Amino acid sequence: MTGYELVRRPSRQSVAIAGVAGSFAVAASVPGGPTATAIALAGVVVVLAGVWRGRHRIVDGGSLVAFGGVVVAALSGAGAMPVVFGSVAAVVAWDSATNSITLGEQVGRGADTGRVEALHALFSAAVGVLGGGLAFVLFRVGPTRQPVTTLFVLLLAAAVLVVALNR
Amino acid sequence: MSDPADSTDGTASDGGTNATASDGGTDATTTETSAADAATGGQPESRDRSVGVREPAAARSDADPTDAEPGDEADEASDDAANGLTVRSVTTRRTNRWVGVAGLSFLTGGLGVATSTRPLLLAAVVGVVYLAYANVSSAPAPSLSVVRQVSDSMPEPGEDVTVTVTVTNTGDRSIPDLRLVEQVPEALSVVEGPARTATALRPGAAVTFSYSVTARRGEFDLDGLTVIVRNASGSEEREYDVATQPTTLTCVPPVDATEEVPLHALTSPYTGRVATDTTGSGVEFASVREYQHGDPLSRLDWNRYARDGSLATMEFREERMATVVLVVDLRPAAYVQSGEDGRNAVERSIDATHRLFNSLLDTGDRVGIAAFSEADIWLPPGAGPTHRAEARHLLATHPALSPTPPAERVYVRPALRLLVGRLPDDAQVVFCSPMVDTAAAYVARRLHVRGHPVTIVSPDPTRRDTVGRTLASVERSNRLSDLRASGLRVIDWADDESLYEALERARRRWSA
Repeated sequence: MTGYELVRRPSRQSVAIAGVAGSFAVAASVPGGPTATAIALAGVVVVLAGVWRGRHRIVDGGSLVAFGGVVVAALSGAGAMPVVFGSVAAVVAWDSATNSITLGEQVGRGADTGRVEALHALFSAAVGVLGGGLAFVLFRVGPTRQPVTTLFVLLLAAAVLVVALNR
Repeated sequence: MSDPADSTDGTASDGGTNATASDGGTDATTTETSAADAATGGQPESRDRSVGVREPAAARSDADPTDAEPGDEADEASDDAANGLTVRSVTTRRTNRWVGVAGLSFLTGGLGVATSTRPLLLAAVVGVVYLAYANVSSAPAPSLSVVRQVSDSMPEPGEDVTVTVTVTNTGDRSIPDLRLVEQVPEALSVVEGPARTATALRPGAAVTFSYSVTARRGEFDLDGLTVIVRNASGSEEREYDVATQPTTLTCVPPVDATEEVPLHALTSPYTGRVATDTTGSGVEFASVREYQHGDPLSRLDWNRYARDGSLATMEFREERMATVVLVVDLRPAAYVQSGEDGRNAVERSIDATHRLFNSLLDTGDRVGIAAFSEADIWLPPGAGPTHRAEARHLLATHPALSPTPPAERVYVRPALRLLVGRLPDDAQVVFCSPMVDTAAAYVARRLHVRGHPVTIVSPDPTRRDTVGRTLASVERSNRLSDLRASGLRVIDWADDESLYEALERARRRWSA
């Protein structure tokens, strides 16, 4: 009597979705030079490995490295456009990866989860694109005279407001 | 019968819970949605109760437990009775998965400020937007209807049964992330497909998933479903443990009799098949004695009369009916099995009981059933088709006879006292137990000395692959030898042999 064995790890589709998002992050770090690209690429590979093995820690670490690649690109003079969308791509990759790990834990590799995972990634990407667009508009038409610190404090205030509204 | 096509066409005739499932589930679920609204309007009479299970009332009451009116509550209760739905528990938890992103975005912003890199500051804006995304929404309270269909609600043991579960979103909100985990009864093993799925559901949309289980003897209720709902960002998760209307799988083994069962000579006064030492009419020749007035002519030894003219009467061994009570050992200690998979000793004991019951009934004996278990199992000795059907149903579906061990321990002495009080004076006992502890041997001895001859049918759960197991095995065989020495009959039934073989082996030994 051989039963069905539940594999509590994400499926191939999950890896593919995270891979697509991650490749955007790599592409976005290309303007930052080979070092940035290499870091981002390494991060994405780690993320994919983490998804396949179903390990949160590995995915978190890999995403951090991938995002580090984008940051390095920014520091070495990449434009606002690649940096913003590189960050979005890194976040989407991380988000879909961790989401698929929880899915793997709860419903297993054998279940058909492609639809819900794609939808999740799509939502996440849409929010990122909207947010990135907003940031970009701010960058273009915003008060360029203001010192950078003021902007940062405004950012912080917005974050606190968002959290407070939800409580 | 593992053909998946069997299940995918979802014929209503094959025993689903909800006969209405195939005749327009969507229409009915729309009614269900309006019924949910009606619940607050206080018009429970108007609702259509034809379909499945719905959850909105319960889910809503979870969201606002204080707002529920008393009338509402009563209404829900009646609804539960009609539709068989209860939310057994709800857990709402925040997954906190975006906390890291928030921290990271502030770090990035800080770095942007420190190095005067504007793009990094913009990246931090993206982080804040994600934070907003995670915080503005919460996991929706779903309203669902669940329809469960089985390909065969009365399967044979070992047959694969396909279960198809359809979950419909009857609410007016989309569910971005819905994860469903079917609570398959422990005794049934899933052989095909995960009994789980995950999807997103628009209002009115439905998801169907199916899995196969191998049927085992018993009555199983498929009624549990774990529903996990998340919001789009996954920042909040609600887990519902839902009891739906049960779909019952009843798996009754076929009528299956072994060959004749060797019995002790204790019998009832009625004519049967057990040859006794009493002489009288029968088929087996016993002796010849002097003619007494009134002996039947048919039993006169006419050959002798022809030879020397003296009258003599032939005596035969009388054949009588035995009263047998089959006693099953259902104490937790009896739930042992050899190796990782395979049937445990209790399963085998019950199987043996089933076969012995049928063969004893076939040979004209009166048979009853009793058990050492936490539940009271007692079928007084009897005969006839009704009795047979009763026993078959009892053995197949009684919850205490399930293949999983009971939670509580069974006290042997009170159970034994109860059993002895119930046993008819002329009853003999067939005790089905793996005999892995001294308590079982004690029971057998007590019954034997009280004048109920005991035959032990003992499925052997032991193995000899490690030292410890060998020791247990030797202990058990010593125990059995002791019992044999005390005049009990023991049928040691090995794991790899059929009951018939074991009986045959035992019979040869006894007749020799």
